[in-house]
Amino acid sequence: MANKHIIGVFDDENKLLAAIKNLKQYKANIKDVYGPTTNHDLIKALTRESLLPFLAVLVAIGTIIGAFGFLYYTSVIDYPLRYSGKPLFSFPPMVVILFLLTILVTGGVSVLAFLGRVQLFPGKQPVMIDPRASDDRFYLVMDQNFNPEEIKQWINEAGALEIVEKEIDTSTLWGF
Amino acid sequence: MEHTYKPSTLIKALAGVLIVIGLIAVIYGFASDPARTWSNVLINNMYFITLAMGALLFYSLQYITDSAWSALFQRVPLALGAFLPIGAVLMLLLYFGLPDIYEWAQPGITETDKLIAHKEPFLNVPFFMIRMILYFAMWIALFVVLRKIAVKEDTAGGMDPFFKSRYYSKVFIFVSAIFFSLAAKDWIMTIDSHWYSTLFGFRSAVNSIYYAIAVIILIILYLNKLGYFPQLNTAHRNDLARYLFRFSIVFGYLWFMQFLIIWYANIPELTAYYYPRFLGEWQVLFYAEMLINFAIPFILLMSDVVGRNKIVMPTISIILIIGLWVSLFLQVMPGSTGELQFGFIETGMWLGYAGLFIFVVFTALSGLQLIPKNHPQLEESIHHHL
Repeated sequence: MANKHIIGVFDDENKLLAAIKNLKQYKANIKDVYGPTTNHDLIKALTRESLLPFLAVLVAIGTIIGAFGFLYYTSVIDYPLRYSGKPLFSFPPMVVILFLLTILVTGGVSVLAFLGRVQLFPGKQPVMIDPRASDDRFYLVMDQNFNPEEIKQWINEAGALEIVEKEIDTSTLWGF
Repeated sequence: MEHTYKPSTLIKALAGVLIVIGLIAVIYGFASDPARTWSNVLINNMYFITLAMGALLFYSLQYITDSAWSALFQRVPLALGAFLPIGAVLMLLLYFGLPDIYEWAQPGITETDKLIAHKEPFLNVPFFMIRMILYFAMWIALFVVLRKIAVKEDTAGGMDPFFKSRYYSKVFIFVSAIFFSLAAKDWIMTIDSHWYSTLFGFRSAVNSIYYAIAVIILIILYLNKLGYFPQLNTAHRNDLARYLFRFSIVFGYLWFMQFLIIWYANIPELTAYYYPRFLGEWQVLFYAEMLINFAIPFILLMSDVVGRNKIVMPTISIILIIGLWVSLFLQVMPGSTGELQFGFIETGMWLGYAGLFIFVVFTALSGLQLIPKNHPQLEESIHHHL
């Protein structure tokens, strides 16, 4: 679904940061930000807390329990083989396997979850508002459900180079 | 930024009281049980030398990795290193207690024990003392050089002290990597003279940074509470907590690595070391060591937000201060006295050493600019953010 959006073009990330802080104050709807570099302050200002760490912890706990069950099943129930005089169920040799499996599965699931969340896959065409977003310009995308004139004024006050109105497919936007 | 720290009378009084307690404990100990007291001298010497060496390792690491974030409080690890000369004197005093701690130092043991007779060319009292003197000579010389450069930086400024510090940091990393691990093997591992672990020295050297950071955190937070380091921000605390977190993993990894191989291989000489600890009367401490040094810091520090909390951070540091003691106690005591005893001698002597350590470190801190005002990375450190 294509909608009309207001796009502010910036040449300085600090100005963009100021604009975002301003707009947040007015509770305006920031849809997306494009830029050539990442900036921790920007991420903080947009206050998007990632849920990936929690997913990773959940997957890690699940893997530990699952792998422990698997190891117990193989070494005690399914194929009870006694070696070097150790008891059938002994924890020390399991630790390394649990440790490595947890890292492997958690790492893999985290990467896949991240790729799924940002809808990234091999051969994907990059969505870009303008080619210069990978060069030296920052783009701030706003939707129209506020007073458009007021939004334009706020962006302008923050020091935008220019303000453009453009039809953009909403499904490609993040929505902050 | 013209801050110099003056230790308050409270700190001096505290240190004095602790030293007096320690002296009473030492006198009481030598009167009642000399062997146990000598073992405690060794534990506490190793404890505070570990802290001093770990702090200097941390200091050098910052230089060789060009880490700017820590420039603000660089003088704190440098001050911890000031314990080395006193540690050296206390360690040399151990000469009179060698047969009480080390099996190989007992006269006539080489005739009855073939394994020790085989190790005799390396493990004999004169060579042991010579090595000890050599280690301390190198460490103290490097510490003095690093401190002199720091003083020069405060007075003269310029880039020259920075490059010199970086050069001597590289030297120090090599020297401590080789000779601190050798020293740990000499002083601690040879207590169980039949047992050996090739990992032992590396483990002691790496873990020293872990505990040193805990003490550095405590000192920084204490000074910050008094109003020093006004530029200390969340990002600094965050990075310090991360350091602890990473090293808790290193500790767990190396601890388990040493244990697993010996447990699996089942070679009698090696399992003899773990038998009393893993299955004997030391079992509780054995598990406690892992819990205190690895599990608690690992779980609590996993989240950055919890880790950099102003209450959680010092709490974990204090837990780790206990952890190092438990760790050394388990390494020394089963081999030297062989009895699980805990009482006034242990606590009193540790408190005495701690008092001495506090006195030395805070005196050393007051001798320098608390904030290295001419350090080229200071501005970057002050504006450190994540």
